[in-house]
Amino acid sequence: MTAAQPSAILEVRDLRRAFGGIKAANGVSFETRAQEILGVIGPNGSGKSTLFNLISGTLRPDSGRIVFKGADIAGWKPYRIARAGIGRTFQIPALFQNMTVAANLLAAAVEGDWRGAPRRVEEVLELLTLERLRDSPASDLSGGQQKLLELGRVLMRDCELLLLDEVTAGVNPAIRAVILDTVQLMRRRGRTFLVIEHDMEFIRSICERIIVMDFGEVVASGDFDSVTQDSQVMRAYLGRPA
Amino acid sequence: MFLQTVANGILIGGIYAAFSIGFQLVFGVLDVVDFAVGGWVMLGGYGGYWSARLLGAELYVSLPLCLIAFGILGYLMGPLIYRVRTSRYARPTLMALAFTFGVATFMRGGALTLWGFDTRSVTTAFGGMSVQLLGLTFPLLRLIAFGLALVTTLALLAFLRGTRLGLGIRATAQSKEHAALLGVDVKRISMLVYGIYTGITGMMGVLLAAIYSVTPEVGIRYTLLAFFMVVLAGLGSVTGVLAAGLLLGVLEALVAIYIGASYSYLLVFGVLYLTLLVAPEGLFRRPRRA
Amino acid sequence: MRWVLAVALGLAALAIAVSLPFWAGGYWTRIATGIFMWAGLACSWNIVGGYAGYINFGQVAFFGVGAYATGILMNDPYDWTFPATVPAGLTASAILAGAVGWPTLRLRGAYFAIATWAFAEALFQISTVLDITGGPAGLSLPPIVDERLFYYLMAAAAAGTYGIAYLLLERSRFGYRLTALRDNETAAETLGINTASVKVSAFVLSAILSALFGSIFAYWVTFINPRSVLGGDITDQMVIMVLVGGLGSLWGPALGAAILYLVNRLLWSYWGDTVIYIVILGVAIAAVVLFLPDGLISLWPRHRRRNLLGAALGRLGRWKRDA
Repeated sequence: MTAAQPSAILEVRDLRRAFGGIKAANGVSFETRAQEILGVIGPNGSGKSTLFNLISGTLRPDSGRIVFKGADIAGWKPYRIARAGIGRTFQIPALFQNMTVAANLLAAAVEGDWRGAPRRVEEVLELLTLERLRDSPASDLSGGQQKLLELGRVLMRDCELLLLDEVTAGVNPAIRAVILDTVQLMRRRGRTFLVIEHDMEFIRSICERIIVMDFGEVVASGDFDSVTQDSQVMRAYLGRPA
Repeated sequence: MFLQTVANGILIGGIYAAFSIGFQLVFGVLDVVDFAVGGWVMLGGYGGYWSARLLGAELYVSLPLCLIAFGILGYLMGPLIYRVRTSRYARPTLMALAFTFGVATFMRGGALTLWGFDTRSVTTAFGGMSVQLLGLTFPLLRLIAFGLALVTTLALLAFLRGTRLGLGIRATAQSKEHAALLGVDVKRISMLVYGIYTGITGMMGVLLAAIYSVTPEVGIRYTLLAFFMVVLAGLGSVTGVLAAGLLLGVLEALVAIYIGASYSYLLVFGVLYLTLLVAPEGLFRRPRRA
Repeated sequence: MRWVLAVALGLAALAIAVSLPFWAGGYWTRIATGIFMWAGLACSWNIVGGYAGYINFGQVAFFGVGAYATGILMNDPYDWTFPATVPAGLTASAILAGAVGWPTLRLRGAYFAIATWAFAEALFQISTVLDITGGPAGLSLPPIVDERLFYYLMAAAAAGTYGIAYLLLERSRFGYRLTALRDNETAAETLGINTASVKVSAFVLSAILSALFGSIFAYWVTFINPRSVLGGDITDQMVIMVLVGGLGSLWGPALGAAILYLVNRLLWSYWGDTVIYIVILGVAIAAVVLFLPDGLISLWPRHRRRNLLGAALGRLGRWKRDA
């Protein structure tokens, strides 16, 4: 493990969380540098979503540290972590089903800049090409559109660190392209991303670095090519040598 | 005195446990907190009373009669409950809660309108007799009731564990979607479960009306007791509910003798409330497998 | 054009309401007073039940606290005047709501309903054994018969309640936070909303409003006992009124309260008892759940837009104009 760089915005040290006998997080350690897009890959059940839940506060860790911008946020309540500047999407979209798309976005701004929120709603709708759907109830949206709305809510809050959990899973190529462009745009504006993905093309095109998880641990990290050529990773993830 | 009280408590506790298992089953399979559980007990009591009054029926007639009658009634009502649970609402759990609450209110109002405020009891030849065992006196009626409750509970458990239908019920309780994918007719199972529950609960109502008495207002009390047991035991723990039932019976009996009957209610509420705060998942729950 | 009509109707209703005691006679004035009280109670329950989505089956506890505060303090040895007892009742219920709400609101769905029910029933039991509350016999308050006074008191309290509800729930960030946490509490947390604090605030507000009506009620009927101010029937009525009228809407509770209370009074005057009313309540709630889950208010054509989706959109529109 490399020593913490001065520009590390998030540092996770020896994070552990167990459910009964299952060690969902078994000493996870890594760091994320500011303005980087870090990919998180690994087989199902390797603990990726658990990691996100631990960082965002939805789950409390059993032990370990999560240092975000200098403060150890491990064990904080989710709303405090959110206010500190971390935003996340959920693998299964956790939208406000009974509100319209526009209302969902507006609600996302309730703890921030409220006066400027309506204007930002328009911006986000335009950015994500959702203007047509602004008055539709969230429950009417297709799976891909719901993913976009999830992303939109995080954008509304202007977080510094965004955790995207399989945000392109099951979306059509058009929506995927919108997501890709949006992530790159936000990165240019100084945001940092942690991205869980199974879509290797997506990972390859936007992530400079990736970490690989298996059985609740980080088993490899580095740039895309070096990691995918690592035979251990290949065995774990794809079940065959590279 | 103490042992006698405890013994009495255990006997009653058995009855409590019997109908709360049905309640818990409904909770598991239909995902509904049936606020009307006490109402079914109450109606069962009236069923027993009228069987004795109009048909001159003794317990061994009125009990199976009510079991079947209420079972059918519940089976017919099942689709309504199922529909309420599965409709596209914004708040499905609330709507199901409200619906059963409405049913309970309807039962109470109906009983009051039809039969008034008077207290009724189920007359039975077993009422006056008692049995001496181990130096303690057991009212025969309570012994019979406990025995019947025990038999019913065991039969239900055997049914759930041992038959294909029972397996289907347990599968549905675990996960409705998966059960449906495996070919289980969730709707029919739900109806069946509700019918089993109302049948057993109604039958227990007959027994309670024989031991104590019945008025339209007792429903609320039995609903509370059912909540108490299920909360204490936690969802999914059958042994827990049995234990909680016996515990409740003993607790009630002890408080009534040693502190005062009016405090027993307060105690039950107090313990229920505190349990919910401290251990909402129940005291006996099975450890969750991730 | 429709706007002018609405204003005209509103003014006419206001004129009727303000002048009612002078032409309606004692009986109808009392009925109107009752309607205002129940409308206000239903609104207070709706704050937590409808907007926050937590079904509170123990709301009567706070009504009773307000009633007993007034009852106790207006008697020996305190002998306070009525206006002085009101803040005491409000404060007591606020403290109780805060203390009870904080742990209880951590429970979800049915567990919360059961817990609040248990809490209210425990309070009922306690009031039957304490001396200070007069035990099962209850308390008498200084006798007073002044239909007009109580009409205006209840009307003012109801108006205040709906005003507060409108400002806080329909027109503010707080309302947004509540509906967000009702829809998806986990998501709301990850958006930075302190759901625990928001829930407790709503709970305390709801309690204070119920207590207010409790205080006025005690003074009005001049005699209270555990059954009349802490009985579970009272919560049941509130819940059914809101569900029939329209859960989560601003005016639904008022509609439900008016209709059900009138039915109750009509039955009472024609049949002498209201046992059949209980049957009607049960049927009403079952029918609402099966056929009209959004309540009667959703039949209003304007309200079809003005439900959750429309209201959110409307708010957005309003904000756009303001910004």
